[in-house]
Amino acid sequence: MKVKVYSTDTCPYCTIAKNFLKKHKIEFKEVNVANDMSARQEMFNKSGQMGVPVIDIDGIIVIGFDQQALKRILKIKD
Amino acid sequence: MTKQKDKYQPQEKILYDTIIIGTGIVGWATAMYAGRLGLKTLIIGDLPGGTIVIASPVENYPGFISIPGKELVDKIEEHAKEYDIHILNDKVTKIEKINQGYKAITQGKKFSTKTIIFCTGTKHRKLNIPGEKEFENKGVHYCALCDGPFYKDKIVGVAGGSDSAAKEALMLTEFAKRVYIIYRKEKIRAEPVNTKRIEEKAKQDKIEIINNTNITEIKGKKQMEKVIFDKPHKGSKEFKLDALFIDIGYIPLSELAHSIGVKINDKGEIVIDKNSKTNIKGVFAAGDVTETEFKQAITGVGEGVQAVYQAYKYIKQA
Repeated sequence: MKVKVYSTDTCPYCTIAKNFLKKHKIEFKEVNVANDMSARQEMFNKSGQMGVPVIDIDGIIVIGFDQQALKRILKIKD
Repeated sequence: MTKQKDKYQPQEKILYDTIIIGTGIVGWATAMYAGRLGLKTLIIGDLPGGTIVIASPVENYPGFISIPGKELVDKIEEHAKEYDIHILNDKVTKIEKINQGYKAITQGKKFSTKTIIFCTGTKHRKLNIPGEKEFENKGVHYCALCDGPFYKDKIVGVAGGSDSAAKEALMLTEFAKRVYIIYRKEKIRAEPVNTKRIEEKAKQDKIEIINNTNITEIKGKKQMEKVIFDKPHKGSKEFKLDALFIDIGYIPLSELAHSIGVKINDKGEIVIDKNSKTNIKGVFAAGDVTETEFKQAITGVGEGVQAVYQAYKYIKQA
């Protein structure tokens, strides 16, 4: 499973999302979109919007920290 | 010895002394005190940290001169976890009355409790104008700390005149070329310390206040490009902005409490007495969801501690 987290340095919900993934031992790649314009465009192309965090799980896009959606897609039970 | 992972694991079979709903700063402080009082405690919430996580910096919580909101709530969560409490990251969807008290129902699980403490907080109020939904996260945002970095050297607006809106505007000056505060009334209601900071930024041409003005529409193509005012500003109702951050107040999350007969006022806030009791025995509330006038982290925490002490007394007297 490939997981990418698009985030900015200051975004608290990005940190919460990353902590959630770490807690459940889900490996992910972090992409900082604060200054990297091509990464920002990539995020926009995938999600159609400019709010962070955006989490790409094997092509399934989750916008914002949606704990229930993440649990469902990543099959986390607790 | 209990494994660390299982230490906070909620159990459906036990009757909790109290269930705290909400994992914001008030919820965690309440859970900390519940732990100290030796109550069998479960704290349930689906938004870790609550709304204070987007406040930065917090400068009015005693003991911390300046601290990011998330860091402050993390510290209180860590403090609560020193005690024997159970934790569930989930959403309570329903509450039912049972003989011993109440049953809190999440997606697929049910937990029984003698008392409930609502620390459910609030959610952002929206402008409810044309274009707001269409351009959400395409120029229209609700968190400067999250999405502000996208607008480096751009022209942005903040809708609202509260202290929170003033802080959003100040935060945005770190990224944007110029920030306009658009407020429907005459004078913004920021704390004096933040009003002074706004005035200083105004002198540097970083912030300008457009007062007595409402935004009636947001327009653009792929991204928002401008807002429409209800009256002309410098000769035009159209005003170009690369982004608009909306901070016009909050809506209390009191539906669950209301569903079991808890009294709410005309703003939707839970009515509590000075001891954080609601009109229903065994049901308490604290923090931004209540009808208290001055909604601060420190006052909410105080209400939470009062609520849990009253819950403790209620259980002992029963």
